[in-house]
Amino acid sequence: MNDDAKLEATAQRLGAQAAERLNVERTVAAVLERLRAEPLSASRWSWRQPSWLRIAAALVILVGGGFIGRRLLVHPGTGAHKVAHFVSDDLRDLSADQLRDVLTTLDETLDLGKGSTTIPDADLEDLDAQQLRVVLRSLEG
Amino acid sequence: MAQPQPIAATPSPAADAALIAAWRGGDEQAAAELVRRHARALARFLAGAGAPEADLDDLVQEALIRAFRAVDRFRGQCQFRTWLLTIGGNVLKDHGRRAGRHKVVALDDRLPARDGNPHERAEAGEAEERLSVGVGALPRLQREVFLLRAQQGLEYAEIAVALDTTEGAARVHYHHAVKRLKELLQ
Repeated sequence: MNDDAKLEATAQRLGAQAAERLNVERTVAAVLERLRAEPLSASRWSWRQPSWLRIAAALVILVGGGFIGRRLLVHPGTGAHKVAHFVSDDLRDLSADQLRDVLTTLDETLDLGKGSTTIPDADLEDLDAQQLRVVLRSLEG
Repeated sequence: MAQPQPIAATPSPAADAALIAAWRGGDEQAAAELVRRHARALARFLAGAGAPEADLDDLVQEALIRAFRAVDRFRGQCQFRTWLLTIGGNVLKDHGRRAGRHKVVALDDRLPARDGNPHERAEAGEAEERLSVGVGALPRLQREVFLLRAQQGLEYAEIAVALDTTEGAARVHYHHAVKRLKELLQ
């Protein structure tokens, strides 16, 4: 058996025994129970987790601040301050993980109804906190 | 490299589409049937991607719940199973983050193959173990492309749509994954 065939054969066995041990009917029952028990909004967002509350707050600041900042830049005469303020600067205390979550969530929010993501998760994985802040800032325009 | 073959046949997309439409209309049994059709393939994908077996039930359920909740975003751009597997990949990524960004590598799914003599079984089990570790160490996109192709037997075009990339990029990811894994297995 050559290397390619050996790799394929091994890959096809990978996880097979764990999957065989899955109790499918128990899974069916558990999934149906959760679908009945959890309202749509509760299942999509785990608001009970404090980190999500923080991320949600950051999103509100980011989107709202970005909108206001853009208006000030487009109509400079209507605002008291002419210096652009980047909301991403206010997120300095977030970790790289939290920034990744903000970007992913923001991407999902902007992408609702489109069916595909615009920020590949794999790319975000490779960025450090500083680079993630640059991405956030770029989203503010 | 020869065309990898799926172990379990993929259920008919037309039948899946009918079940999805029924679920959208509130038919709970349609959701149950979709779980029966795809839960094992999802479990195999997750276990292959490094899900700890102790958490496999929960991860399978979470991926299925997310899929049912987001089913309005599924427009038949790829097979339902492929779409579900990519959701499984996201669930596993979130699980890994919650676990403190440690690499999740299955420790329990190390039983040897059931056919062949004891020496062959031991050798196959060892190869599986090394491959499992190797797959767990691949970058996420390489890992998912490799599993969708080699383990699930999907075409590059299908993989590209599911992962929101191009067919060429999927081929490159697969090539890099195979190269690294072959080095590991030698």
